[in-house]
Amino acid sequence: MHLTSRILYRLHRAVLWSRHQLQHRLTPTGLTVSAALVIVTVTAMDTDNTVAYQAFTLLLFLVVVSFTFVFFFKVRFLAVRSLPRFGTVGHPLSYRVGVTNLTSKTQVGLTLLENTLDPSPSFAEWMASGESGWKRARLFRLRRRGSKSPFKAARLRAAEIPSLPPNKQAEAVVHLMPLRRGALRFHGVILGRPDPLGLFRSFARLSMPQTMLILPKRYPLPPIPLPGTTKYQEGGVTFASNVGQSEEFVALREYRRGDPMRYIHWRSWAKVGKPIVKEFEDEFFVRHALVLDTFIDEPQDDLFEEAVSVAASFACAVLSQESLLDLLFVESQAYCFTAGRGLSHSDQILEILASIRPSGRKRIRTLESLVIDNAAIVSGCICVLLAWDQARQDLVKKLKALDVPVLVLLVVEEGGAKSVDPGPLPGGQVRFYVLESGRIEEDLAKIQ
Amino acid sequence: MKPPPFMVGAALLFWGWQTGLLIPAAIMAALLEGARFVTVRWEFTDEDFSRLWLFCTVLLLAALVYSFNTYVGFSYFTAEARAPSFLTQNSAGQGGARTAIALFRWLPMIFFLFVAAQAYSSRQEIPRASLRRILSWRWKKADKNPLPEFPAGGVNVSYPYFALVLFAASNHSGDNNFYLFFWGLTLLTGWALWSQRSRRFTTLSWIGAFTLVIALGFAGQLGMGQLQGLLGALNPQWFTPIWSHRGSNPFQSRTWLGDIGRLQLSGSIVIRLKPEIGAVPSRLREASYRTYRLQTWYSGSGLETGDVPGRRRRWRGWSQRTNDLARPFFAPWFRRNEFEPLVSQTNQTTWLLLPNKTNTSRVQIACYLEGRTQDSQPVGLLPLPTGCGELDRLTAFWLSKNNLGTISAVGPGLVMFDACYGPGDTIDSAPLTNDDLDIPDAEKPALEKVAAGLGVEGKSRDEVLQTVQKYFQDGFTYRIWQEPVRFRKSDDTPLGRFLLTTHSGHCEYFATATVLLLRQLHLQTRYAVGYAVEEGSHNGYVVRQRDAHAWCLVWNDRTRTWEDFDTTPASWVAMESSRMSPWQRLMDAWSWTEFEFARFRWGQSPLRVYLPLLLVPLLGFLLYRILFRRGRKRARLATAGPPELFHWPGRDSEFYLVERRLAQDGVIPRDPDETLSHWLRRAAVSPALENVHGTLGTLLQLHYRYRFDPHSLAPDDRDELRRRTHQVLKILDGGN
Repeated sequence: MHLTSRILYRLHRAVLWSRHQLQHRLTPTGLTVSAALVIVTVTAMDTDNTVAYQAFTLLLFLVVVSFTFVFFFKVRFLAVRSLPRFGTVGHPLSYRVGVTNLTSKTQVGLTLLENTLDPSPSFAEWMASGESGWKRARLFRLRRRGSKSPFKAARLRAAEIPSLPPNKQAEAVVHLMPLRRGALRFHGVILGRPDPLGLFRSFARLSMPQTMLILPKRYPLPPIPLPGTTKYQEGGVTFASNVGQSEEFVALREYRRGDPMRYIHWRSWAKVGKPIVKEFEDEFFVRHALVLDTFIDEPQDDLFEEAVSVAASFACAVLSQESLLDLLFVESQAYCFTAGRGLSHSDQILEILASIRPSGRKRIRTLESLVIDNAAIVSGCICVLLAWDQARQDLVKKLKALDVPVLVLLVVEEGGAKSVDPGPLPGGQVRFYVLESGRIEEDLAKIQ
Repeated sequence: MKPPPFMVGAALLFWGWQTGLLIPAAIMAALLEGARFVTVRWEFTDEDFSRLWLFCTVLLLAALVYSFNTYVGFSYFTAEARAPSFLTQNSAGQGGARTAIALFRWLPMIFFLFVAAQAYSSRQEIPRASLRRILSWRWKKADKNPLPEFPAGGVNVSYPYFALVLFAASNHSGDNNFYLFFWGLTLLTGWALWSQRSRRFTTLSWIGAFTLVIALGFAGQLGMGQLQGLLGALNPQWFTPIWSHRGSNPFQSRTWLGDIGRLQLSGSIVIRLKPEIGAVPSRLREASYRTYRLQTWYSGSGLETGDVPGRRRRWRGWSQRTNDLARPFFAPWFRRNEFEPLVSQTNQTTWLLLPNKTNTSRVQIACYLEGRTQDSQPVGLLPLPTGCGELDRLTAFWLSKNNLGTISAVGPGLVMFDACYGPGDTIDSAPLTNDDLDIPDAEKPALEKVAAGLGVEGKSRDEVLQTVQKYFQDGFTYRIWQEPVRFRKSDDTPLGRFLLTTHSGHCEYFATATVLLLRQLHLQTRYAVGYAVEEGSHNGYVVRQRDAHAWCLVWNDRTRTWEDFDTTPASWVAMESSRMSPWQRLMDAWSWTEFEFARFRWGQSPLRVYLPLLLVPLLGFLLYRILFRRGRKRARLATAGPPELFHWPGRDSEFYLVERRLAQDGVIPRDPDETLSHWLRRAAVSPALENVHGTLGTLLQLHYRYRFDPHSLAPDDRDELRRRTHQVLKILDGGN
């Protein structure tokens, strides 16, 4: 079984590589001719009843002759890519690539292709992805559910390069559609030259590694009254976040032992002749915990991506208000990131969410202890969960016992809302909503 | 990518010319290219394109069913299910190929509507969203959470359609225009590539490259033809036509002699008989053969193409090229088989085989014609009783006979006719000394040994026949399975083993041994195949596939007729019957259903002509949905409306009643992008609002507060808005 899986994995990688090569190597005309050749090959076997074998030979030699031109192309060039820092899943973007012709001939009819070889999944990832797909597959269905390529990071269109005189530069505009969050790695650019018959492209490559971060998709949220009231934040924002400085200056007082050196007001000391320190006001403000459930087996699961998108949507919505937000999740270890009120912006939270990866199912207790530790200082808790099992119910139960208002958002598969039983927990401090994959936006709009 | 003008139209005309569908092709080409001159365009939505695709898909399925029914029929597959064998598998395969070829030929017509919709749509291309839905396996439940796509743009499907048309044009045998297809294809492909060529290269480079492709392509297709011909010459068995599951071929009959294991023949009913005058015949003969070589009987003309005089016809599976190459190897064995056409009487259904013969018996025979001619018409051999002189009520298109008494019919898939027969003359030709006494050298040692043991030297013909009959009856048994041979000598043959060692076999062993043994004893004989009629059913008889039988024909010099001589032990009927499946009754019921359907289908009832019309309502309904769906949707939207995602405060303000009322009266309607305050300032000049202008200003203030103030209106103010609005409406009513 293991050996078979290994072979299949190698085959899968080979298919991915071949597809990538074909997409680059073949022009649209070449793709049509190649597809026609494959179809005609089947019918060409019957030479008595069809004359498809005549079409077969013509198409075959069309492909062969065109392909021989692939080996005769050399061009020296320079390229500069103006890449934006961020992209967002589902939002197309364009950027420019400046190409300089270093030859003494004018280059016409060139195409610019970006080499962003999709990150091949590891064997474990591939197995997990494959298994998750087959788990949900129904009997006698040919196509697996959700079998869209889980590893394809972006769609890129080939860009036409204007005529390039010798030692001159021209710009090509590349259109990109991010498909998956995370780092999108560019290996280099390729200049493609079609053959005389226009079926295949010859390549001239230039290594130009660069990375762009693709942020998760975000949904518009209705005005949601978030749970909880303001709470005393001991030490102000500084201690709340463990970074930065509180600016809520109240008064000056004499130095007491233990006051930090940096709070000494030097001018007043000079004026009165004894140490004077600045005094800060104890701060009260709203602080929310955004708990993201990362406990799922499949690394490329759509459900997890939806959960991240929901978390990103809330992160942006909460941070636009005057409040702090603690993002709590467990990956290789437990993490707590705080943002808001000048500490950090939604960009940083989105960057974290763009890179977040699911962890195994067995460490939900880690998240529970992290959330409970923070429960004392948060005004409310938004839990984005992937399942509603006993462990997660216990987490919510404990928060409820601590009198923390909780907004539970359970992300389920398409059509799975009916089978969810919220149980006795919802009510009072706990609000419970089910978000179905594929109609998350509609379900979010129902939150009151 | 938009194709150059008239290219797709030219491809359609080429397709029509090649496949004999020139008129539809001309109409389609005119419609498609006419879009360049017509300015009217339709606003097709994504949904419309998806529905049009659905329509084309239904059309494709309908064409598939029609094509399958016409070229294959379900009987091929039921035969395969009942008795899987090389023959039935090959038959099903041949039928499937014919179905596919016919379907491929119709593809341009099937998908024309979709391409025409693109040509006449305002977008001039198919939206990517529609294509995504179309290409999804689960069309109805398209992925609700697909990977993101680039928002704008679509795909022009003209080039794929162009390729489809050229592919469809290749689905013909190329008998009449062998090289024209190649040159037409080259021209059109060149046209398409020329329009897409890169400006980087000169015209000369392009012409050079394409000329090279043409030269290689032309040489390649010639080579492929020769290769196929050479393969055909290697083993003619591979290319012999598969006639039907009844298994008879006028030119040759491959026996199962020497095959080990159990002989598998199904219990499916292949012939139905109903005696009308006289007794039912005990045997029905389909064909007879003269020459025996390598376990195969040949009529003596196996390599000929079976041309029927008066009409050019070729048995499927034999190409002229194959024949030309194979002829030198096999010519010494075969000579031209003379199939002569038979002419029907003036009523078109009576065929006289022996004009001067007095027929004493009459039996109604129903059988299937399960072979196919080159132009896909049903063809088969008629199973006839010995001494048949006339065929009545036979609605065949063509009937021909050869000099071995084989009658070939081209007609509907099922024929029902009356066979009139009697003792005496038969339609078989007189014997030929060389052929009807021919014994293969390999079989001679065993036959000489047996003949010597019989001791019939100097005895009369009747005595010889009696001795041979007794020899097989006493010393041989009927058996439908053969054991593998452990030790085989170089000159060992299956027939020799049967005669000298095993002394058991099925009817082919007995018939072949009898024919060759009698030839060894200087009697002219032939090998006949057909069916034994044994099983009664209601008011007639049925013949199953397992009733297939072989026997010997012996020439009688005195009466100058061929007489049946069967040495197979009589127990074979009982043994075959014992192999009856427990599901036989059920299968017979199914067979009867098939038979009744075949009667309906093959011209026994005029209703079959109207059968395709059943599809018309379905297709009409789909077309109606495509064309008029939008109107229905608008109506639905007006009553139900889309569900609102958010509850916007103030949407129930009564002020909108005033606005609607004034719009109805046509005072000054508000523009869609105009604010209420601007509209009110504009409307103030209207005399109709003279009495209420001041009130309207106050109302607007309340409305705006109700609509946009985060604290909304106090209950008193809300009542005020309501009350004043109704006052204004009353005033406006009074004004009217």
